Formats: sequence, C-alpha cells, structure tokens
Amino acid sequence: MEQQKINFELQHRPSSTIAICHLPPGETLVSEGGALMALKGPVTVNTTTHQKKGGGVMAGLKRLLSGESFFMNQYQSQQNSQIWLCSALPGDMMIHHLTGQRLIVAGGAFVACDSDVVIDLEWQGMKSFLSGQNLFWIKAQGHGQLLLNSFGFIYPVQVEDEYIVDTGHIVAFEETLNFSISKASTSWIQSFISGEGFICRFKGRGIVWCQSHNPSEYGGLLTPYLRPKRK
Amino acid sequence: MNFKIEHKPDFSWLTVEVNRGQKIFVEAGAMASMSTNMKMTSQFKGGFRRFLTGESLFLSEFKAEGVDGEVTIAPGPNGDIGHMNLQNQTVYLSSSSYVAHTEGLNYETKFQKLSAGLLSGAGWFLVKMSGTGDVWFNGYGALMELDVQDEMLIDNGHLVAFTEGLDYDIIKLGNYKSLFFSGEGFVCRFRGQGKVYVQTKKPSALVHWADGYRRVEKSNN
Repeated sequence: MEQQKINFELQHRPSSTIAICHLPPGETLVSEGGALMALKGPVTVNTTTHQKKGGGVMAGLKRLLSGESFFMNQYQSQQNSQIWLCSALPGDMMIHHLTGQRLIVAGGAFVACDSDVVIDLEWQGMKSFLSGQNLFWIKAQGHGQLLLNSFGFIYPVQVEDEYIVDTGHIVAFEETLNFSISKASTSWIQSFISGEGFICRFKGRGIVWCQSHNPSEYGGLLTPYLRPKRK
Repeated sequence: MNFKIEHKPDFSWLTVEVNRGQKIFVEAGAMASMSTNMKMTSQFKGGFRRFLTGESLFLSEFKAEGVDGEVTIAPGPNGDIGHMNLQNQTVYLSSSSYVAHTEGLNYETKFQKLSAGLLSGAGWFLVKMSGTGDVWFNGYGALMELDVQDEMLIDNGHLVAFTEGLDYDIIKLGNYKSLFFSGEGFVCRFRGQGKVYVQTKKPSALVHWADGYRRVEKSNN
C-alpha cells in the first residue's frame, strides 16, 4: 500500500504566504529553523544537524554557509497533524515534486521537504564565491515534495537554449541545466557601475524558477540605516 | 457603528463612521485622516503598566461633535486588520496589536504570567478588552483565525489575539537541543476552546534577516 503523503496548502499568496503542511500519521517533515508559526496535533520535534539519511555535523556546517540554519527540525506526526510554516520576507512559496531528477535550490529559498527528499549542499566553486552569492547551493533529490520560498513572486522560465538570470533572483533550477556565473557586462567597470554584478548563464533544457525581487538588493538598501556592528 | 476595512490584507486600512455624539478610542498615532468635526483628546490609560510596556501611555479619543463624522485608521506595520464584535465577552490582545475600540468596552492592561512574559519575548503585558462593542486589532502580514478545540502550539511572535475560554502556558519545543538550536525555542501552548488570531509574518524575523546586512566596524580600542 502506498503511504500517504504530506499535503502542502499555501494561503495568503503571494505576499504573506504561509504553508499549512498536513501530515498523515507517521510522516516526517524536515524544515529549516525559525520557520514554525503554529502546530496542531501530536508531533515529536527533533532538532538535528542531519537528515535521517546521513549528513552529520559537516552537513550542518555546510548548510550554515549556504545561508540556511545549521540545524534542521524534524517533525514527526503520531496522528494527523498540521504544521504551519512562514518566511521572514514578504513573498510567495512554491511546492515542487521531485520524481527522481535533481533540483538545485538557492541558499535561503529552502523551507521544508518531506522525508523522501534528500538534501545536500553543493560547493559551487570559486566562480560562485566571486559572485558574492552563497558558496553553497542546496541539491535536492529523491521522490518527494519540496517547499521553497521567495522574496516577491516566483516566475518559472523554460530554458530551451540559453538564458541569463541575475544570481540574486534565482530560486531553484533543474539540474539538467548547465550554468556558468559571469559578470553582467564584458567590462568589469561596466558590471560594477550598472549594479547588475553577477549573472548566471543557463544552457540546455530545463526550468529556472526566478524571484521577482532580490533580497540582497533590499538588504543593501537598508545597510546605511542600520547601526554598525562593532568588532 | 459602521466601518469598512479596505485593501486587505497587505495594506489594511480602517474607516469608521462615528455618529453624532459617539466616541471611538484609537491607539495613539494610528489616526490617518478624519473629518473636521471630530474632536480629539488624549486619554491617559493604564498608567505605570503601559509605561513599562513601552507603549504610549495614552489612547486617542475621537468624538463626533455636531454632525456625524469619520476617522480613518492605519496601524504601524503593513498588514491586516481584524475586527471582533463583543457581546459581554472578553478578548486578549498582544500589546502591539491593539488598534481601536468603541464605547461599551473596557480597556485594561494585564500582566502576563511571569513565565510567559519572561520567556515568550512577546512582552510582559496583554490588553484585555471586555464588555459589549467593537474592537479592531492588526497583524503584520495576513491575519488568520484559528479554532482551537483541544490544544494548539503557536509561536509567540505570531500571536495577535485570543478569546476567553483558552488557557495558555509556555513550553519548549522538543528536547533541550531544540530549545537552543531549533530557531523556535519557546512556544505558547493554548488549551481549551476558543479562537486564536495569528499574523503570518513576525517583525523579529525581518529584523533578524536585516541584521545580516549591518556593516561591521572595527572598534578603536
């Protein structure tokens, strides 16, 4: 008999989106720390650095570098239960069904997944480091559901040949796509003064999900108004 | 009293028609616009307790003089406004979510349970509204009404209001490792029968996110 799955219900889209995750008995939801809003039903909560299927402290450390929390929360339901999840920034959420293929998720976009999804961190190399974006992206695989969030709304782009997305606007993309990170313009000066910085050039066939707004642009706007940290 | 809430849920905005001679009480600073016959006076409310909460010590009272008038009210955060009509009932609001109320309701500031105030981070005080009349409250993001039949856990930062008939305490979620590392910490456990209103966003999460964008300065010593 096929096991019942988690039903993700999105409400108040697109700006105040929350996800109500309906868990059948025995199902486990893995979520990032700090996303919990409310909880109903008998659920055991466990905080670990790893998923059931391996990982450990290194996985936690890598996750920290990706802009996600070091620890993951595992919610296991004894009976039917609900877990309500939200995000910090105003924006939308999406549910993605993995059927064996892999999905690369930008750091910060991951909210939760069911226990049939294996998430791991992937080092994106020096080109990613230079871009000022996260060093690690999350690689998700398996046969299950993923819950992602965005700043602003999400628009999917079906790449047939080649397409360019600003690195700060990427939510997730299918691993069938090859990508390379480069400056927005051929000239360093042009790239710098345009404020576009780094872009991601996708090649091949697959879908890229983009977010309408760039969190680091917004954060950068706030920087002059925030009291500096002292070291 | 006639009222309308427009531009829900992101920029909710309340317009109340106040009949001649009637009064409405509003959170200090929340009035956006009003007709010229509305007379505003500041009312001292709550005294020392409100002083401790960091809230304004005053409520604004608006009275329609001579003819009917209207007041439009916009709370601080962008988000939703909720309304309840109380018929000899009581509702508790988190101290930051109070917006306005009509005559016939009694406004009181209540100490939270010591553990709740200490641990929940949601502040030391609750606003207790009781009697018969209308009360409005606001949330950051959308507001959602939850029917609690038995038991429900709510992150305290999302808590906006709850009705009488519910009791709550503060518990930690999961084991001790969860307490420090889950990013959730303490949550409010509601038990009994009643309604809880929650907001879909919490200000502290936004601030926590923005904290990452602070400049780092070297101190001179």
